[in-house]
Amino acid sequence: MKIFAITLLAGLSLCANSALAQQAAAPAGDIENGKKHYTTDGCYQCHGTLGNGAALTGPKLANTELPFDAFLMQLRHPANDMPPYEAKIISDKTVADIYAYMKSLPKSPDAKSLPLLTGMGVK
Amino acid sequence: MGKKTSDQAGLDRRGFLTGVAVAGGAGLSGPAQAQSNQTRMAQAQTAPAPAARPKAPLPTAAQTAAENETPAHVEALTTEKTGSDFMVDVCKTLNIDFLASCPGSTFRALQESFINYGQNKKPEWLTCLHEEVSVGMAHGYAKVAGKPMAAMLHGTVGTQHAAMGIYNAYCDRVPMILFTASAGPVEDRRPGVEWMHSVQDGAATVRDFIKWDDYPWSLQSFAESTVRGYALACAEPPGPILITADGKLQESELSKQEEAKLRIPKLTRGTQTVGDPAALKEAAKMLVAAENPVILVDRYARSQQGVDDLVRLAELLQAPVVDKQSRMNFPSQHYLYQNARGGVLVAQADCILSLEPVDLFGQLNRVRDQIERTWRSTSKPTAKVISLSTHDLLMKANYQDFQRYSAADLAITADAQATMPYLIEAVEREIGDRKSAFAARGQKMRDAQKAFAARAHADGALGWDSSPISGARMFAELWNQVKNEDWAFMSPNNYSGNWQHRLWPIEKHYQFIGNSGGSGVGYEPVAALGAALAHREVGGRLPIAIVGDGNFNMAPSVMWTAAHHKIPFLMIIQNNRAYHQEVMHIQRMANRHNRGIESGVIGTEITNPNIDYAGLARSYGAVGIGPISDPKELGEAIKKGVAAVKAGEPVLIDVIMQPRG
Ligand code: HEC
Ligand SMILES: Cc1ncc(C[n+]2csc(CCOP(=O)(O)OP(=O)(O)O)c2C)c(N)n1
Ligand SMILES: [Mg+2]
Repeated sequence: MKIFAITLLAGLSLCANSALAQQAAAPAGDIENGKKHYTTDGCYQCHGTLGNGAALTGPKLANTELPFDAFLMQLRHPANDMPPYEAKIISDKTVADIYAYMKSLPKSPDAKSLPLLTGMGVK
Repeated sequence: MGKKTSDQAGLDRRGFLTGVAVAGGAGLSGPAQAQSNQTRMAQAQTAPAPAARPKAPLPTAAQTAAENETPAHVEALTTEKTGSDFMVDVCKTLNIDFLASCPGSTFRALQESFINYGQNKKPEWLTCLHEEVSVGMAHGYAKVAGKPMAAMLHGTVGTQHAAMGIYNAYCDRVPMILFTASAGPVEDRRPGVEWMHSVQDGAATVRDFIKWDDYPWSLQSFAESTVRGYALACAEPPGPILITADGKLQESELSKQEEAKLRIPKLTRGTQTVGDPAALKEAAKMLVAAENPVILVDRYARSQQGVDDLVRLAELLQAPVVDKQSRMNFPSQHYLYQNARGGVLVAQADCILSLEPVDLFGQLNRVRDQIERTWRSTSKPTAKVISLSTHDLLMKANYQDFQRYSAADLAITADAQATMPYLIEAVEREIGDRKSAFAARGQKMRDAQKAFAARAHADGALGWDSSPISGARMFAELWNQVKNEDWAFMSPNNYSGNWQHRLWPIEKHYQFIGNSGGSGVGYEPVAALGAALAHREVGGRLPIAIVGDGNFNMAPSVMWTAAHHKIPFLMIIQNNRAYHQEVMHIQRMANRHNRGIESGVIGTEITNPNIDYAGLARSYGAVGIGPISDPKELGEAIKKGVAAVKAGEPVLIDVIMQPRG
């Protein structure tokens, strides 16, 4: 068994990538195709059906602020526990479509406008 | 229908019993007669009957007795008192309130004794439709009631059905008093089924995951073993015990003379193990000297006292508490409840106190789920670790619930709750002039806590209106309906986003009872049934369980037992129409193998057809509501459900939810 600092390595690679991505423009993606693949390719399982994220399984993706390259990098070489999605099973183009779909999702409401939510646990 | 053939006549119940009496009559009939009796019994037990074969009608008992001059005692067909009555006397001394069971003839005498001789009180006999329900019920009950109930399992087959539930309780260190039975000596057994349900060593099926068992061969031995077993089951760390009630002992007549010789020993529950003073002093020194201590707590509190004492210790040290939630250990809205920063706190800690860890290695390390299983420590190499636990006091080979070996720097083998007051005293003695430093640390914790709710709200807003419904939305709608009730959760958190602990004020020990222990799916509905029973006994509470659809399908009959025995609760099916945990596993494998990433749902989804859970609940006599997939309809549905629970009904609401909270 190897022991190494996964977070550190992953953190570095994401930083390096986002620096790169500053220069590259996000590719135009096909939102409808992205929506389809978000489900068929299993992203919804861990990230929620609307990219809303879930505490134990995967962070929020809707309106992701990651640059495309970092987004793609996470699929090809996951930082930690996410299963890898290599080019053989999901093309750069399809990832770009999913990325476009995530970017296209409506912003979630401001929590402050949801008294039911902010009132949870308050007697 | 035509006239009965003589063979069918042989299946008539009176004739059948007569046949048994004759066969049991010390071999008075000849081999041919015995042969035909055997055939008849085999047929009776495995109806339908084969094609008719000509056979003479059976003689009546009177004819047989007359012909064979049966000794008088063989024809003594009734008796006033049996061994099973005495067994009930024994159980009555233990103050057991309930006994759950799916009936089975190996304990028919005991069952009859409990309900008639024992007047079906203390314990009251509860009908379950599967043995996994009986033991799972006992599991949930004990965690709320703080004492065990009993379950009775049919010889061999009943124990086999119960095995997983027993394993969960063992892993969760929960006491239960289990009985099984076996037909008596070989010459007394009726051919056929009685042999199938007899076993030399019935406990062997489950011995790897119970604390103790016995097959008593006399009534005196039954009394001593049952009382001993009860005490052992409750001693920390607790667990299930199993007593085999021999069929002959149960069914044999108990004469006055024999009864006069029997003694039921008194029950004395041993005191619990407490950490030795020298070790506590050392622990106190380490905790007081630390700049960044963290208290990790897992299967710790068994009562409110444990919670209150831990609050005292944490406040004394102004140390954050990170709760692994195998029990309700600490108030979730206390400023020192720092789960939201658990990872960071452990990473920065210079001293970690781990109270009753289920998995000390897992608390301090992470294993990555990729092909190469790399692992890393999540704490500093210099951090000093103190464990205070009973972990090593109940460990067996074979089943691996003990987890990976991980040595603390100071390992105090003792019951953490019983030791807590002494640890507090030791810390008080060491504290000296550290109080102001501690106060500054406490202030940091208060500041950090302020951000927790805001973060939870931001997360909860994501997918607020989504259908399938989000975990945050469901828990918010639920809160809105039950906030003025004395609510209590009976299900774990892990699959529904942990909203209870993130935002609900869990203050009382009974408001949360942890998880299954052994991760055996099916725990959620059955433990809820037992926990709800314990809540019912206290009165005035609103018991709530959030149950996965996969979990529910393991034991939907809990709804019938609840309706039959009038055990109210609110059960919300977190319906993601899948064994979702497994959906993700298969996805992971497909990705890893670079193929078929659309196929993860094969064998893991529960769709096509969708199951009508509300209809299922109604068919069992409970209230069924749903399916609810529109979040806007959820509040009203829960309101209706709560009203029905308050009217004494078990209620199921089917909510179509996000795969994960
Ligand atoms: C089995 C669960 C699982 C599946 C399936 C999955 N993810 Fe993830 N994802 C995770 C986890 C866990 C993380 C956190 C980082 C890690 O552990 O690698 C993550 C992180 C990410 C991130 C980084 C987010 C951030 O802000 O840092 C992106 C982007 C992402 N996933 C995209 C996807 C897409 C697109 C798919 C589908 C093609 C997908 N994931 C499928 C579990 C999953
Ligand atoms: C007896 C048993 N069988 C199978 C499993 C494997 N398993 C772990 S989680 C899980 C899914 C449970 O389904 P559900 O309760 O609906 O929860 P979900 O993951 O869908 O949220 C299964 C089948 C198990 N742990 N125990
Ligand atoms: Mg499910």
